[in-house]
Amino acid sequence: MGVDHRKAAVFGGALALRLLLSVLFPSLPDLLTGRVEVSTPVTSFKRLQEGLFLYMRNVSPYDGGVFHQAPLLLPLFSLLPNAQSHPLPTALFYSMIDLVNANALVAISDSGQAVSGRFYSALRKHIRWDGVSIAAWFLFNPFTIATCLGRSTGVFTTTGILYAFSSAVTGNSLNAMLSLGLASYLSIYPALLFIPLVLLCYDQRVQKTKVSTGTLPFALQHFAVFLACILGLLGISTLLIGDFYTFISATYGFQLLVPDLTPNVGLWWYFFIEIFDSFREFFLGVFWLHLAAYMGGLTVRLRRQPLFVLTSLLGIFAIFKPYPSISDASLYFALLPLYRHLFPLMRYTFFAISALLYATLLGPAFYHLWIYAGSGNANFFYAITLVWSLGLSILLADTIFAALRDEWEYDNPELRGKEVRQV
Amino acid sequence: MTVLSLLTLLFVVALSSFTSATSDYHESLYLQPLPQSSLLASFNFRGNESQESFDERHFRYFPRALGQILQHANTKELHLRFTTGRWDAESWGPRPWNGSKEGGTGVELWAWIDAPNDEAASAKWITLTQSLSGLFCASLNFIDSTRTTRPVASFELMGDHPASSNLHLLHGTLPGEVVCTENLTPFLKLLPCKGKAGVSSLLDGHKLFDASWQSMSVDVSPVCPQPGECYVHVDQTVDIVLDIDRSKRPRGNPIPRPVPSDQLACDTSKPYHSDDTCYPLESTSEKGWSLTEIFGRTLSGACPLTDNASQEPVCLRVPHEREVIVTPGAVETKRPDGFTRCFTLKPSTPFDLTIPEQEVTTHVPLDEPVLSAERTIVGHGQERGGMRIIFDNPSDSNSVDFIYFETLPWFLRPYVHTLQASITGRDGLRQQVPASQFIRESFYRPAIDRERGTQLELAMTIPPASTVTLTYDFEKAILRYTEYPPDANRGFNVAPAVIKLDAANGQNHPIYIRTTSLLLPLPTPDFSMPYNVIILTSTVVALAFGSIFNLLVRRFVTAEEASALTAQTLKGRLGGKIVALRDRIKGKTAKKE
Repeated sequence: MGVDHRKAAVFGGALALRLLLSVLFPSLPDLLTGRVEVSTPVTSFKRLQEGLFLYMRNVSPYDGGVFHQAPLLLPLFSLLPNAQSHPLPTALFYSMIDLVNANALVAISDSGQAVSGRFYSALRKHIRWDGVSIAAWFLFNPFTIATCLGRSTGVFTTTGILYAFSSAVTGNSLNAMLSLGLASYLSIYPALLFIPLVLLCYDQRVQKTKVSTGTLPFALQHFAVFLACILGLLGISTLLIGDFYTFISATYGFQLLVPDLTPNVGLWWYFFIEIFDSFREFFLGVFWLHLAAYMGGLTVRLRRQPLFVLTSLLGIFAIFKPYPSISDASLYFALLPLYRHLFPLMRYTFFAISALLYATLLGPAFYHLWIYAGSGNANFFYAITLVWSLGLSILLADTIFAALRDEWEYDNPELRGKEVRQV
Repeated sequence: MTVLSLLTLLFVVALSSFTSATSDYHESLYLQPLPQSSLLASFNFRGNESQESFDERHFRYFPRALGQILQHANTKELHLRFTTGRWDAESWGPRPWNGSKEGGTGVELWAWIDAPNDEAASAKWITLTQSLSGLFCASLNFIDSTRTTRPVASFELMGDHPASSNLHLLHGTLPGEVVCTENLTPFLKLLPCKGKAGVSSLLDGHKLFDASWQSMSVDVSPVCPQPGECYVHVDQTVDIVLDIDRSKRPRGNPIPRPVPSDQLACDTSKPYHSDDTCYPLESTSEKGWSLTEIFGRTLSGACPLTDNASQEPVCLRVPHEREVIVTPGAVETKRPDGFTRCFTLKPSTPFDLTIPEQEVTTHVPLDEPVLSAERTIVGHGQERGGMRIIFDNPSDSNSVDFIYFETLPWFLRPYVHTLQASITGRDGLRQQVPASQFIRESFYRPAIDRERGTQLELAMTIPPASTVTLTYDFEKAILRYTEYPPDANRGFNVAPAVIKLDAANGQNHPIYIRTTSLLLPLPTPDFSMPYNVIILTSTVVALAFGSIFNLLVRRFVTAEEASALTAQTLKGRLGGKIVALRDRIKGKTAKKE
């Protein structure tokens, strides 16, 4: 009962904080919606409203350069009252989504998959936070709050991903595939999580039922479910919008080809502003290949910890996807405390956290200098995005090092605590 | 006394020639002094060619160069405008030709093309713009798909077209085009007298493009006065508003000098008036000027190709009480309206017209504009902004119905859901009201990046004696660095909005008003460092990729094992070999001894 009280307090507090912020500062949501760190062309709430406006007037929202989000969001948001005149229902809806996400996190944490799995159990598993603490860490993270108040539609992808994870760790592999299908439908990149997620589901199945069927039939079966889910959602979307080709090219084509170079916290925008035209397609391919390359390497090397692979991939997406925002970083930061037991093994935490704080504080300042004050140029903000990406990649590499070291100590208990090298 | 405005007069003459003139040529010049020492000079040249001769490529009064382009591009009706400056409607009153011969700042082109479908029409449109670009020395070839729209309600056909034709209206603007003498020269070459004789001999690029406002137009449309008897009608106009004082400056010495002190008219009632201080008196008399002073040359006689039906090509609109001195031989006819007088010209006899400075009691009345419109970009910063359009209906009794048409470049992303309206009455109270109260109908075609621009057409009604303000937000896109012009920080031109008012007072031609063009500053990247950006971004990517895959592909060993392993590296092994070799050599030398 004590835990429940804590959970209720954390959830209630988070809800109250979000509603209070949007009531006390009525211009804050619109301000955050306009921030490039919060809203990207594929998650912006303002663009969603424009799409909704056109959709309600029977103009195809995809026959234009503004709206690039999944079609199913349109009927969903048309149920809510107009956010301009009645902002509270929308704020409440987004806050509830955050709580739902936090609930999934609690389920993931409570399953203990992060510390012990089918093949592997961490040596320092006593060092860990409980689910409510992790939920609190997620709910009171300023990045999460900013995303929630900025009404980025990226939170729905977050929900899909977190529910896929929580269903997978609790052994409900069908729901995991459906949730991942939803996330991939909303924004294409979660599809890269499919293989590690299937491995996680498979490990869970074997652990629970003690029957090890073949991996391949299991994976194919689940791939069929995953594909069916996406196709089903696309089918409904086609029924809604009518023109299949237009909405596919306006949503997925847009995410793949990155035509809109609005600044964001990622690495793509400035690179593709400055790249020579003849190399544009080549580097587009290289960047996507690079993003996809991590999935294979991590899955193979960290086969015993598929949930860690998933977490690390989310970190990689937060750095290297075409339109990243702080919402992606907040999702990665939400899952990191599951690996509290790895923290003692990390080497560059101070440096990574300093770089992230530096980027967080100076990013908006330098953006202001470039866009509004005119006393700086684009390089100011670009430099900050480099620092942000660098800080995140150091953190990511460091956690991967810690996870590998932990695995090594598990394999060689006699060498625990010794100085190690990699050769 | 009924006052015929200049506009109505222009129209009456234009319409009468539509019906009477057949295969002939007609030209005219209207001069009207405007308030604030300005002078409106309105040149008009009209030529007709029968449809049969046009189809057989037999050109008499129709310019061959233009005719061939139109035939090649299947263009049935063409309207081309070159405009610079701004018409000051507050001081100058309504626009000449009711704005129908005027374009937005820069170049504006619209045409009806006969084509079976939209794709064919677009292909012909590209042909047309490319050819006209060559003919008029203008950058019309830059009217690509992003600058082309297909207006729904803003433009209507001028001529009579057979019902069987499948016409497509295409409209394109180049708001940033600088209109100058290189556009005037080909324009004059289209005329039968080529600027050598007739009223066109007054047109000089130095004076024309020094004007406060100028607009050149070319209109081609088929006219059928009777069924089966059709003409291709070409109508060229040049309208300029010249600053009289500025134009009178001698060409060799154009810098204004201070008036010598003995010629100054001083207000002697001022307490500080003395020999060395002077408060200049506002001159109450009308400015004196002559054609030679204003245009820098005389009118070199009538164009011999003009038909004899119209013998009074030069008309002047000043009160009858003003003294006008003309070259001997020219005959003056005063019109009964009390303001207009016209002059005949003799072939190959120079004509000049001089109006001395004079105190007058009557003034030429100026109509009040039916509607005034103003469009501005609001907000600051290079990320987003807002558009504000202000419509003012000066009438106290009548509401105004009109079509508002604007095209926006694709890198300006409007948010239509933020469209808001407010109304201010004559009491000055501002009220926020739903925009649907003024917008009867709307047509909106959103932009697609790098493909087409935004097209917005609103059918609106503005209630009497009120000012309506429309606002909407937009976002400015950041472009690839090659898409910026060389002067990227100057900003991008946004084409003027076109307002079409329905025909009033029994005229069958609508009134057009155009707002000024806008300058949109976009965020700019640093153009100097594509290499640096590629290198720095690639470094960060490589750093992440390298450190992560380095961790993944290597195995862990303890520090002792690692040092043992390093011993087995190439260096260690080489070191061992060297030690062994040294030992052998040492051993050998020891044996010898």
